[in-house]
Amino acid sequence: MLASLQKRLHDTVRQGVFHPQFHFLAYALLGVLLLLPQLTGLVTVGLFTRIFVLAVFGMSYDLLRGYAGIINLGHALFFGGGTYIAGIVFANYGTSPSMLGLAVLGTTAYAMLAALLMGKIAFRGGNVVACAMITLALGEIVRQIAESWRAVTHGADGLTFPIPMMFRDRVALYYYALAFMVIMMLALRQFIMSPTGRVLLAIRENEQRAIFLGYNTASYKLVALQVAGVVCGWSGVMFALTSRFANTELLTVQQTLNALLVTIVGGTGTLYGAIVGTAFVQLAQHTLLGLRGVHPIFERWLLFFGAIYVFVVLFMPTGIVGLYQRFISHWLQPVKPR
Amino acid sequence: MDTFIILLVNGLADASLIFLMAAGLSIILGMMGVLNFAHGTMFLWGGYTSVWIMARTGNFWLGALGAVAVGALMGLVFERLFIRPAYGKVTAQILITLGLMIVFTDLARLLWGATPLPALRPAVFDGMVALGGVRIAEYRIFLIVIGVLVAIGIHALINRTRIGMVMRAGVQSPEMVRALGIDISKYFTLVFAGGAALAALGGALYVPLVGSVWSGMGMENQILAFIVVVVGGMGSFIGTAAGSLLIGLMGTLVAWFFPPAAVVANVLLMAVVLVWKPAGLFGLEGK
Repeated sequence: MLASLQKRLHDTVRQGVFHPQFHFLAYALLGVLLLLPQLTGLVTVGLFTRIFVLAVFGMSYDLLRGYAGIINLGHALFFGGGTYIAGIVFANYGTSPSMLGLAVLGTTAYAMLAALLMGKIAFRGGNVVACAMITLALGEIVRQIAESWRAVTHGADGLTFPIPMMFRDRVALYYYALAFMVIMMLALRQFIMSPTGRVLLAIRENEQRAIFLGYNTASYKLVALQVAGVVCGWSGVMFALTSRFANTELLTVQQTLNALLVTIVGGTGTLYGAIVGTAFVQLAQHTLLGLRGVHPIFERWLLFFGAIYVFVVLFMPTGIVGLYQRFISHWLQPVKPR
Repeated sequence: MDTFIILLVNGLADASLIFLMAAGLSIILGMMGVLNFAHGTMFLWGGYTSVWIMARTGNFWLGALGAVAVGALMGLVFERLFIRPAYGKVTAQILITLGLMIVFTDLARLLWGATPLPALRPAVFDGMVALGGVRIAEYRIFLIVIGVLVAIGIHALINRTRIGMVMRAGVQSPEMVRALGIDISKYFTLVFAGGAALAALGGALYVPLVGSVWSGMGMENQILAFIVVVVGGMGSFIGTAAGSLLIGLMGTLVAWFFPPAAVVANVLLMAVVLVWKPAGLFGLEGK
């Protein structure tokens, strides 16, 4: 009985993460992305590099929101923390490749510690609402610390820093970022398919029942937060390589909401939905900002951002990937010949 | 002794303002189960509306009244159009109110600019008053009086009136209220608009105290209100009042004696309370 249930759950997860029809599409897309720098200019390459890095940020969020059912409104503290740590290391200790190693190590340690503290406080009350409020407050604390600790972070002015030689070529960075995204996606997928990942799914579906089954749900959620936090911190380090600049904007609630929006637009609980969502949101922002010559309203990106947000939540709760899957399963379903 | 009086008055005045915002948030959360992230936006719009009206008419009271009206109207529209389709879906509600917060914060920035605008105190309460040998701003005394009046008013509303009875029942069990033939959705709208109006009043009274209005103040104060609600216990009126007092007084004390810790003190307090009582000081266990 239990075995068959587990098998069914496993199939659901597998389908959710990699729908069979999706394989072909994914490989074709990867092929196009590998060729892209040869076909387009540096602006597009830069835009896509950004998309790859932010997609990892989005996926780390989806692990929490889509698989563990946690709404973490302080997630930006991992992302911005990674960018700041990398920036501080490069600005103060030079840009040799070993310094990148130090930045990654530092970020990993910081993210694990932050996730531990955050989880211990936020999962205490046990419900989604309390968790959302507490994580929001924690994220805001980190932002205020970064703002007032001017000696290290340069406060509101932001921190400009050099990056290692190997990442200075824009096209090379594009390929590094693409590889980073693919590896992180496969790693996160592996995590979700693991026994721990399945318990997380059970918690999302019905936490009470998971508790009755004898699982210590708080500690499983803590593991999810640790993994998501570390991956998110790494994406922050990658972001440092693309932007060469860090400011407190990266630590604001708005930054967390960016990740939340891309997972919703793309489709929560699908992992690759975050990639689709990031691409959609970034391209939309790019296009709208390009229209600012037509009318100044197009400079107010946040207005559109919020409007997309409300619209998607109200009318498109499954996101783009959900729509696509419904299209596939409904219209392109193979029919048996009579 | 002098320091004590100053800190007490300052802390109580801050507590009054926090209470105006947290009261609505807590009742909405307790009764409707909606965590309203747009609550700080009402606070923000209340502040801007009052400053805008005061700049035109020169009348502070008209400004405060206008703020309350705008807040109530926003609450009404938000509840009818956006919250109602998502009752019972906690996550969707959080996301929708977050979206509204972004849109209306940016709209405020579009209408009134990104730079802070100056805000004046009403002429009647602009002076200082001697209290036990120290000079205290009259405006702070006024805030404390307002806070106490509103607290008594809400307490009477909840415990002495028919609306309050339905509200109390709604916190316990909305289904049962509905089963008794009461159209609870009307009360939801009423409570939501009322909470929004209180938050807008808080914004209108807050800006003269700090002397300016800026677009980030909604979020900053909303976080304080969240901490109050978590510390006091969700949906508990007494808890919200106690939490406001605690946060207001502690914030003033820490800012006076050890300013660097002001940032983390609130969160530390929240963590300690949660470790000791996971449901908050006056929260119902398992609710």
